[in-house]
Amino acid sequence: MNHKHIIEILDNSPLPRLSQSDLELVKSHSKECESCAHAYQAARLSTMIISERAGSAIEPTPFFQTRVMAAWRERQAQENVPAWSRLWRSSRALVSSMALATAALGVLSFFAPAIPSAGNETASTYSAEAVLMGQQSEDQMSYEQVLSAIYNDDDDDDVR
Amino acid sequence: MVEEAAQEIFLKAFTQLDSYEGRGSMEGWLTRIATNTCLNMLRSAKRRPELSLADLTEDESHWLDTNSETAGDKLQTVEDKLVASDLADKLLVTLPAEDQVALLMMDGENASVKEVAEATGWSESKVKVRAFRARRKLREAMEKLLGPKTVGREGKVAQ
Repeated sequence: MNHKHIIEILDNSPLPRLSQSDLELVKSHSKECESCAHAYQAARLSTMIISERAGSAIEPTPFFQTRVMAAWRERQAQENVPAWSRLWRSSRALVSSMALATAALGVLSFFAPAIPSAGNETASTYSAEAVLMGQQSEDQMSYEQVLSAIYNDDDDDDVR
Repeated sequence: MVEEAAQEIFLKAFTQLDSYEGRGSMEGWLTRIATNTCLNMLRSAKRRPELSLADLTEDESHWLDTNSETAGDKLQTVEDKLVASDLADKLLVTLPAEDQVALLMMDGENASVKEVAEATGWSESKVKVRAFRARRKLREAMEKLLGPKTVGREGKVAQ
């Protein structure tokens, strides 16, 4: 019997699930082969301790109830929050940014008159034009000046 | 650690009850939560590289001596069962988390390959490979603990 074959039988499935023929094969070979007997012994004890480990009942600690109750209260508190409050929580950032933008626009519109605008520029242009016009009117000769200039010229001709 | 895991599983099941859509069985849904929780906890736990005879208590050494010489597969006393369970804990932490889960489910709870695959989300071939490796590692670790004396002293395995 192949030693490797016996080891594979032992590792392939848990001992309680081995077929009767496989189990007989392992046992009969183990009587003659010391290393396979050792392996079978170890597999048998491994199966025993794993079965005990899986079968042991777990008692919850005294803190378990406290933790469950805390989780329950937290959940209840979340469910009792009114709809508008939940809506506010979700849209708080958006509403805040909108309010901030509105305030900024208000401040800007309040200080706007102090800043020179297009209308003022037109007015100042108009004023400058008026000054120029005024200068022009100053440069223009008055009616008396025109007359005196004509008659002076005539007087000059007579003298000649 | 086991008590912690049990607490965590029930708490998760309680808080995630909304996520249960009622498609599969409640037991399957709970098993999946339990498996994933245990896997995560085992992965985060430190693995012991190897277990030697020096790491065993006197009770555990005595348990090994006694039960390697007798042929019975069932433990009778509560003390024996407790010692066996502690010894299993010590040996299991030398295995990777996935191997521990596969071994405990298949060999401890007699789950089928399909059941383990459903609970863990692994393929059936992966379950088989994990269980095979785990069984081999556990057997080899147990052989080291038993030492050559058991078979040598008796000359043959207790039948």
